[in-house]
Amino acid sequence: MDRWWPDGTETGSRLWQGIVGIVATGCVLGVAQNALVRHGAPTAGLAWKYTPPTLATLEDVVAKSDAQPGGSTPLPPDMNDPLQIGGSATSGVPDIPDVGRPIQIQISKVKAFFDAKAATIVDAREPAEYAEGHIPGAINLPYDQVVTDPGRLEDFDPKGKPIIVYCGGGTCELSMNLGFSLVNAGKKKVLVYMGGWPEWSTSGYAIAKGATPEGA
Amino acid sequence: MSALPAFLLHPTARRAAQIVAGLIFLASALAKIADLSAFAGSIHNFHLEPFVPMAATNLLAITIPWIELIAGLALVGGVRPRAGAVVYTVLLAVFTIGVISAMARGLSFDCGCFGKAGAGPVGAKKLAENLVMIAVGVIAAVERR
Repeated sequence: MDRWWPDGTETGSRLWQGIVGIVATGCVLGVAQNALVRHGAPTAGLAWKYTPPTLATLEDVVAKSDAQPGGSTPLPPDMNDPLQIGGSATSGVPDIPDVGRPIQIQISKVKAFFDAKAATIVDAREPAEYAEGHIPGAINLPYDQVVTDPGRLEDFDPKGKPIIVYCGGGTCELSMNLGFSLVNAGKKKVLVYMGGWPEWSTSGYAIAKGATPEGA
Repeated sequence: MSALPAFLLHPTARRAAQIVAGLIFLASALAKIADLSAFAGSIHNFHLEPFVPMAATNLLAITIPWIELIAGLALVGGVRPRAGAVVYTVLLAVFTIGVISAMARGLSFDCGCFGKAGAGPVGAKKLAENLVMIAVGVIAAVERR
């Protein structure tokens, strides 16, 4: 006996029928399931059309918290007076509100935090990229390692400072993902520097090379 | 298919390969269906914009796991197993092209291949895994002459 199960003869058009049938059934079931889930709870399903997540900017968040009823509405800071820039008169770094999600931050603010050593800077890239060059003092916390070992998030201690996450720039998935992971792990005041390493390294600011935060 | 050794063309080898391939796809389909948004995020990480409009990545995320599920059922159940094996092999080949192109562009992220359970970064190891799984698919698909 050559075989002990029904194999059928799947050749030619019968094979194609099967292939098309599997793909079509899968598509119909997938679309139907998603439609049903979304019908029950829109947030449980996926929107048909993907829109990339965007992060609120620090300016948005500060403006919103100021606009809340009962909140004080300070006059815009006088940029010529260094004592008034941002919220903290002594160091020149802005106060970061605790909003429970990552906030986008621009290079000028990153530099202010960097100069004042007022933030814990985190490099989300791979160790090899980190060793080639990073922002001095930045801690290497590769997102890929966080995915496989969530304990690294628990062990990460920002020492009470805001956390600035950066990576290789572009659309910056690593920083975004790590930013959300940090917030989910209960960390406060998580900032994402979208410009990342390409912008910082071409801005003429200090860089460090090697596997340690301060450089080899 | 004289390129394959004779024992791989034996009907029992083919049936075994079909069951293995089917179980792989069932596991991967169920993991993805359980967390569709994570899978959508994974697809997005591949940055397929040059080939697939970004807006369509969610549609892929919605349909691919169910195609995997049906193909997996066909393979394990032995109903139209050859069609299932062809779908399995073609899908895996597409995934593998995605992995290679991500590696070539220096992208590094968790591939989301088996939902969160089988999380592993895109890289040489993932590529090797995929090639082995494609080999299983080829054995499952070849028709004995």
